[in-house]
Amino acid sequence: MNYPVWEIEFLGGGFLIAVIAIIHVYIAQFAVGGGLFLVLTEHLAYRRNDPGILEFVRKHTKFFLLLTMVAGALTGVGIWFTISLLNPSATSVLIHTFVFAWGTEWTFFVIEIVSLFIYYYTFNRLAKRDHLIIGWIYFGAAWMSLFVINGIIDFMLTPGAWIENNNFWSGLFNPTFWPALFFRTFFAIIIAGLFGFMTSSFLKDNELRTTMLRYSAKWLLVPFILFLASSWWYRAALPPHIDVIMFQKMPQLRPFITLFMVCSGLIILGGLVMAIRMPSGLSRTMAAVMLVVGLMYFGAFEFLREGGRRPYIIYDYMYSNAILKNDVNQVAEAGVLNTAKWIQHRRVTPANVQTAGRELFNVLCLSCHSLGGPLNDIRQQVRMSSPEELNLIFATMGRERPYMPPFAGTEFEKQVLINYLNTTIRK
Amino acid sequence: MDAVSLIPTPDALQVHWFWLHLLLTLTTFLHFVAMNIMLGAGFIAFAAPFWRGNDVLPLNAHIAKTLPYSIAFTINLGVAPLLFLQVLYGQFLYTSSVLMAVYWLSIIGLLIISYYAAYAYRLIDDKSGLSRLFIGAALLLLLGVAFLFSNNVSIMQMPEVWSSYFSDRTGWLLNFSDPALIPRYLHFIASAVAIGGLGIALYFEIRKRRGATDGDEWIKLGSNWFMVATIINFGFGFWFLGALPEAAYDPATLKGKIFFIMIVGSVVTIIPSIAYAQAGRIIPATAWALSTILLMTLARDILRLTYLNPYFSLSDLPRVSQYSPFIVFLLAFVGAIYLVGWMLKTIWNTKEVA
Repeated sequence: MNYPVWEIEFLGGGFLIAVIAIIHVYIAQFAVGGGLFLVLTEHLAYRRNDPGILEFVRKHTKFFLLLTMVAGALTGVGIWFTISLLNPSATSVLIHTFVFAWGTEWTFFVIEIVSLFIYYYTFNRLAKRDHLIIGWIYFGAAWMSLFVINGIIDFMLTPGAWIENNNFWSGLFNPTFWPALFFRTFFAIIIAGLFGFMTSSFLKDNELRTTMLRYSAKWLLVPFILFLASSWWYRAALPPHIDVIMFQKMPQLRPFITLFMVCSGLIILGGLVMAIRMPSGLSRTMAAVMLVVGLMYFGAFEFLREGGRRPYIIYDYMYSNAILKNDVNQVAEAGVLNTAKWIQHRRVTPANVQTAGRELFNVLCLSCHSLGGPLNDIRQQVRMSSPEELNLIFATMGRERPYMPPFAGTEFEKQVLINYLNTTIRK
Repeated sequence: MDAVSLIPTPDALQVHWFWLHLLLTLTTFLHFVAMNIMLGAGFIAFAAPFWRGNDVLPLNAHIAKTLPYSIAFTINLGVAPLLFLQVLYGQFLYTSSVLMAVYWLSIIGLLIISYYAAYAYRLIDDKSGLSRLFIGAALLLLLGVAFLFSNNVSIMQMPEVWSSYFSDRTGWLLNFSDPALIPRYLHFIASAVAIGGLGIALYFEIRKRRGATDGDEWIKLGSNWFMVATIINFGFGFWFLGALPEAAYDPATLKGKIFFIMIVGSVVTIIPSIAYAQAGRIIPATAWALSTILLMTLARDILRLTYLNPYFSLSDLPRVSQYSPFIVFLLAFVGAIYLVGWMLKTIWNTKEVA
């Protein structure tokens, strides 16, 4: 209502943000768990007095640095860029509410960069103790980044008492903060094991490769029970109405629930298989497959979490289309075309009825629906529904279809929008 | 369409705008320093072999080694000012970003490619031949990113051009109607090359002080790049000044007076910086140049306010005070400085010049 809408069409419906966010979060969680992996594996090398393991850690650090520092850091900035383009109003609320949380996270980011560079470039140059301390500083800073960002992400799903008091601390330490923190921490450790498979599988020495593959497998198998326990805790901490939306009312989320369950089994199975001695070519293929399984696993979770928030972008506060829950009645009375700032045709005439319909579609629908894209394609959905069914969808939004926001415009605007869908979009 | 009616309503601040602006200015300054070193050194690494041939390859080996660091710090130090800019000017920045959404989002891809190109340049031992393609690609993409940033700033502070959205809502707008766009961009690039040159001189000066003997030639080369690029930049600077709206330097207004003082101060501080650099006294030259960058950063802040003056004043921003998160941030900031200081001291004490 407040900002111009980017007519993204094909990549809309959450596709763009899903791609960037899943890739980023996967790498970012690796940046946390992988930090622990590095420093504990270095400890292991010293304990066993094994230069082979130490050399593995050094090479793994190089891979880690190139992946997390470049692709990880930049896709993180990319998420910021993307959300500010797709939903500037929600981004503005998050930025204004959590400016100093983000600022604090940035200070950890500074520590991460400095410590990781030093850690990598001072192998065998610093005293062991100092090198290990720097490794621990890296992990501490990376985990603290997760600590802060976790609060902001879960605020969007369960803002809790913030809705009433607008207090920063209520928003950050929201009802799912702690279970989500444990969930993500254990997941980060599992991801460290998955990437450990990848670099271990490239080791030429058969004995060392088997040792490191088995060692990496422990990073999957040991935290897995704790990960599952934190998943249950996470679900138990969800307000009942969100749980109902996620697990009962949204048929679109069922494939992701199934995918999550299947991947849970595959992670365990893959961890056990990777511990078996196998030729290097096969272990590389398996490691690559396991990385993809991990990505799908995490992707399924992220889709569930995002889906559970519907029809809101900030639960119980701002709908996906950036209309505040408290403003809906006011907008319905005044009309979307009169309330939104970036509207060209405030008065609908026979000459501009299609353009006005498009503007209504942009403001009310485009945040969740793509036009011909892979996610939530409005064209496909309109073509699958008769005009009567389309009317029924509009009549039941926000009630029998609780994952959609209530229609926020006037009755006349509703007809203009339905007309646009039945003519331009149905073509 | 009336530009004022398009300006989104801002959200409330948690602390007085002064603190946020202080953080914005401070972190922008740090970002500019890192960005200038990154872009300028990359430019010199690419350009110098064209007339110095393979003689400069030893220098390029050092630039290649440090370029990934400077890219990392430029990005990292860019996050903070982007954060504070969003808090204070989000209603303008988000809008301009949406108007040029495709270009704006492409920055992420361009940066990832240029970053990996810089790493490739680092990892290839032979810095002549094909590896120059990598530094060339990294440089070209970074110059492209800089141009897109200049565009976003331009659109952001000119709400009068925002109505072009209604003719193209797909995020493909740039602001070539702004007469200050090109000189602003060139001014930034030339200053980056100048500071990049000084950064090279400083790098070898530090190595020299730690016992290295291979740096005198590069200290001289860096100082010369610094001087020549700065002289050229006087031309771009005057072009930029001439393209600004008169209100920017109107002595009748407080903002105009401050802007004028900052510009004069920048000129006054850069002259001794060049003189010291030419005399081989790189540390005082750097101190003076940092003063210039700080003054330019402040001038930039004032200029933004002048552009937005018809539409906005910082004191108009609503505020619902909550200072405790700010205090936690300051503690984290101090803690980070301490930890970074400890780590740098630890490696400094290894007494090794790589």
